[in-house]
Amino acid sequence: MLNYIIRRVLQSVLVLLVVGLVAFAMFRFVGDPVDNMLGQERTMEDVERLREQLGLDQSFVVQYYRFLEGAVQGEFGISYRQGRQVSEIIAERIPATLELAAVSGVFALVLGIGLGVFTAIRRDGFASNAIMTLSLIGVSLPTFLIGILLIYLFSVELGWLPSFGRGEVVQIGGWSTGFLTQSGLMALILPSITLGLYQMTLIMRLVRSEMLEVLRQDYIRFARARGLKQRAINFRHALKNTLVPVITVTGLQLGSIIAFAIITETVFQWPGVGLLFINAIQFVDIPVMAAYLMLISVMFVGINLAVDLLYVAIDPRLRTEGKS
Amino acid sequence: MKRALTLTAMALCLGTAATAETFRWATTTDPQTMDPHAVSSAPVLGFLNNVYEGLVRRGRDMSIEPALATDWEPIGAGDGWRFTLRQGVTFHDGSDFTAEDVLFSYQRASSEQSDVASWFSPVSEVIVVDEFTVDIMTTSPQPIFPDSIANWMMMDSGWAAANGAELPARDAENHATLNANGTAAFMLAERQPGLSTVLVPFDGWWGDVEHNITRAELTPIQNSATAVAALLSGDVDMIDPVPIQDAARLSETDGVKVVQGIEARVIMLGFAHDHEVLYGGADAGAPNPFADVRVRRAVAHAVNVDAILQTIMRGNAEPASQLVSPAMRGYSEIHAARPAVDPDAARALLAEAGYPDGFSFGLSCPNDRYLNDESVCQAVVGMLAQIGLEAQLDAMPVSNYWPELRADNFDMYLLGWSPGTFDAEHPIRFLVHTSGERLGTWNFGGYSNPRIDEMLPLIQSEIDDAARQAMLDEAAGIIQEDMVYLPMYVQPLIWGTRDNIDLTQRPDNFFILRWVAVN
Amino acid sequence: MTDTPITPPEKARARSRLYMAWDSDVGYSFRHSPVAMVSLFVTLLLVLAAVFSPLIAPHDPFNPATLNLMNGFTPPGEANAFTGESFLLGTDDQGRDVFSTILYGLRISLFVGFAAVLFAMVLGISLGLLAGYVGGWTETIIMRVADVQLTFPAILVAMLIFGVAKGITPIEYRDQVAIWVLIIAIGLSDWVQFARVVRGATLVEKSKEYVQAARLIGRTPLAIMVRHILPNVLSPVLVIATISLALAIIAEATLSFLGVGAPPTQPSLGTLIRIGQGFLFSGEWWILFFPACTLLALALAVNLLGDWLRDALNPRLR
Repeated sequence: MLNYIIRRVLQSVLVLLVVGLVAFAMFRFVGDPVDNMLGQERTMEDVERLREQLGLDQSFVVQYYRFLEGAVQGEFGISYRQGRQVSEIIAERIPATLELAAVSGVFALVLGIGLGVFTAIRRDGFASNAIMTLSLIGVSLPTFLIGILLIYLFSVELGWLPSFGRGEVVQIGGWSTGFLTQSGLMALILPSITLGLYQMTLIMRLVRSEMLEVLRQDYIRFARARGLKQRAINFRHALKNTLVPVITVTGLQLGSIIAFAIITETVFQWPGVGLLFINAIQFVDIPVMAAYLMLISVMFVGINLAVDLLYVAIDPRLRTEGKS
Repeated sequence: MKRALTLTAMALCLGTAATAETFRWATTTDPQTMDPHAVSSAPVLGFLNNVYEGLVRRGRDMSIEPALATDWEPIGAGDGWRFTLRQGVTFHDGSDFTAEDVLFSYQRASSEQSDVASWFSPVSEVIVVDEFTVDIMTTSPQPIFPDSIANWMMMDSGWAAANGAELPARDAENHATLNANGTAAFMLAERQPGLSTVLVPFDGWWGDVEHNITRAELTPIQNSATAVAALLSGDVDMIDPVPIQDAARLSETDGVKVVQGIEARVIMLGFAHDHEVLYGGADAGAPNPFADVRVRRAVAHAVNVDAILQTIMRGNAEPASQLVSPAMRGYSEIHAARPAVDPDAARALLAEAGYPDGFSFGLSCPNDRYLNDESVCQAVVGMLAQIGLEAQLDAMPVSNYWPELRADNFDMYLLGWSPGTFDAEHPIRFLVHTSGERLGTWNFGGYSNPRIDEMLPLIQSEIDDAARQAMLDEAAGIIQEDMVYLPMYVQPLIWGTRDNIDLTQRPDNFFILRWVAVN
Repeated sequence: MTDTPITPPEKARARSRLYMAWDSDVGYSFRHSPVAMVSLFVTLLLVLAAVFSPLIAPHDPFNPATLNLMNGFTPPGEANAFTGESFLLGTDDQGRDVFSTILYGLRISLFVGFAAVLFAMVLGISLGLLAGYVGGWTETIIMRVADVQLTFPAILVAMLIFGVAKGITPIEYRDQVAIWVLIIAIGLSDWVQFARVVRGATLVEKSKEYVQAARLIGRTPLAIMVRHILPNVLSPVLVIATISLALAIIAEATLSFLGVGAPPTQPSLGTLIRIGQGFLFSGEWWILFFPACTLLALALAVNLLGDWLRDALNPRLR
């Protein structure tokens, strides 16, 4: 078992290294940062000097090596755009993304499970068919359009919710939170719905189909025959058994919530790492791009690793296979 | 413990929310640094003009007026300029402004790390005559030197030394990146890069206060639809820019108004003059037709600028006849006519040049640099198609655009130019002079004309206005005759504000906070 | 009467096959699901409209020589103030007929969608089969590559590939590059779920007696994979493919919002929506509304179809 874990961790590290190398090989195709860093009155000497200072005249392998050298010491270099430590910038921005992702995740999970159970119990009812169809409309339009339409409806026409940003945030230690103020909470509503809509639909459908399957199982029939209340059967027995796949999927979807936050953050001007990354691409801010990619990779690979290890822990058959 | 922290934090936050009457505004890009010498870009210099001041400044009509210098006069026959400094000026931290600070700011702004060093290329020496007199010596006569340093901002030498910010930091971080200590009407109260930047009035400012702002907050909003929504819903008081298509609708909407003007930026088409062969399109590799002036003139007759202005720009821009707009110093009145729209003449010119059936080529265009840049290029493609020229449009983000142009990967391209000195000499220096290390650095097409090269230094050092204008007229004539560039229009400036805001819009798109009144 | 090309027995067999499909469990489910029937109808209608767009569209929006800029922003059904021309669904900022651009855009979106899913499917199935059947290092490498793939969000993959592709393709082909980049980027981000499903199913099937029997009688691994294991995983693959198609079409739209979509001179539905959203506040609602409705109808129909297919192919749910 330990052997398997060690091997798996080593593989993950290798994956991270490859991700980094591929990313660095591709960065130079995104554009030339030097042009954006100098004003229009610059001379060719200025351009060459700055390029040399930044080490951009080196091959991407050398640049990558330098990046790794710093990264293992927790140093991601200086942002070309802001002229500040990348690690500092990321630390400033990450609470916004994580809070948004968390609220979207909870929204998707709670509503997804609730509606999933409902549509499974009332399988052919009008309401559940309507919910199923409506939820599909939500995933049949691109996220950015849904975000803009929500802003148009709730901010411009109705004036209920703020159109952009995080509202008032409170600093606790190094963490800025929007949970403690009214404007912060209001500002979370539209972006969370935009970001969580797809996952909500996914979870709802998953719960529904798992529930339908479980409800047909013999032990449920026995429970019913024993005269247990339908409510107790639905929630205590059936739902409990659908949760394992739901948790797995949720774990994997957590990563894609953070990835898709890029679009939601752009539409709502949400000051998280996704918006930071989009800005970095426009500005060819290589240190920020590299750090963001590494962050996302570590997160994804970590989640993947955790899920795999969980499987091994749960399913003894996979354990022997892991060894072979 | 944690709870106590939370409660204090909440109390603090409620406290700030209750008192301040805040003016909030949004722009597309965040000023990337608070250092006035590190980055020479309009968002940075424009914003920092509210915090720092120069020896001179520009007024509402762009004219030069006294700021930290009360008076200036030339020394000898073009040896330099003498500036008399304003007395009793203090920086935000309370220290006095003196001639030493001017000398320090010169050293800092002209250093290798500075992005504004080119402003000082004619300067040989800065001499502190006494506490409130400074001589700036130049290597050659510089008639418009005071105009060219309106954005040269004064930094306190003591503050910089105490905080280790003696030099501008571009690829490193120092105290001046996030903090500021100027002399202007507003102080930097809070700086969160990319999120928000807060300014508060400076009580010790030397000038007359015209504004009534107690607190001003800048937030960048990139997505233009979100910015418009924020203005409409009252989340911000002012946005810059308003997307052109939304201007008419916004001005009809209750609660908001649109403030419009003409920017200094001229949008033009550039040509490959010195390429041997075509780069793009189906005819790539064939001899380059744009080396022939008749082909360039044919393009000029085919592009219907009025139609572009009427539809894509919705009547919000003025046609341009030369590389600078009429509001700039040195604009050539005698060359104010644009080429006529005449597809037949264009086809005749093409036939004369040996292309009766037209040809195919590549048109490069940015898609996130100028207002509606991509749409304008698309329209140009359509208009050139009418005379048989098949343009293959290659639109890209600006981060790729300049490297592509520098690598000569174009046949025709879109360019916008805003002269930093507000003078007609500026585009000649960067766009028309033969391309080299220091001059002609944006002359991607490789146009070269000995007469222009010969005239440029003469224009730069001519003190007599009439003689200078005569040379600028001649240059404008040559540029038109050779169709070096095809100037299309002057880009409009469109800001949107809530109804209760009064402000002044300057053609350089600088937003000056001390001219704002909240009613 | 000359000889009919199809001999009677074959004809009967063809008919009986169709009839068998109609009469099967899936067919039964189809006949009793009005939602499925409407979805299929809408999907087919849109596909046909896309295929025959050059015949249906009143204008050719991809030919710049036929455009008149002065026609720009004509409202639907009204005459343009300058030219007097009128258009069924109005015109956009370039004076292009919105109805025609939708038809041509639909064609590009569908092409990108189908091609991306096909690419993902072929890649995912082959790698999934290989990983599941061969195991060992092959499996480790494939599944770790899948991890890398999941690590890079599709958006990112597209942006990076876009830059590289532009750098290395000859100029003549630049126009088409965007489309192929979209296909590869979307396909690359989608193959993992095919591979995972197929690998999982392969692991299960591999240990069953019939596969071991087939191995014993000397069937080659390739034959076993293709003839025995593949048919068993086809129904989940079909379901994933249908839903992926809807996802791919939406993903294309999302990417164009980030500036890596089809070029505006040859817009897809996504590019049209990206352009149209700029006119949401300015009053030219038709530039956004009609393309968005078309995309919604297409994605919704395909999604509903996928939904129905999943239930119909899963016998335990019936």
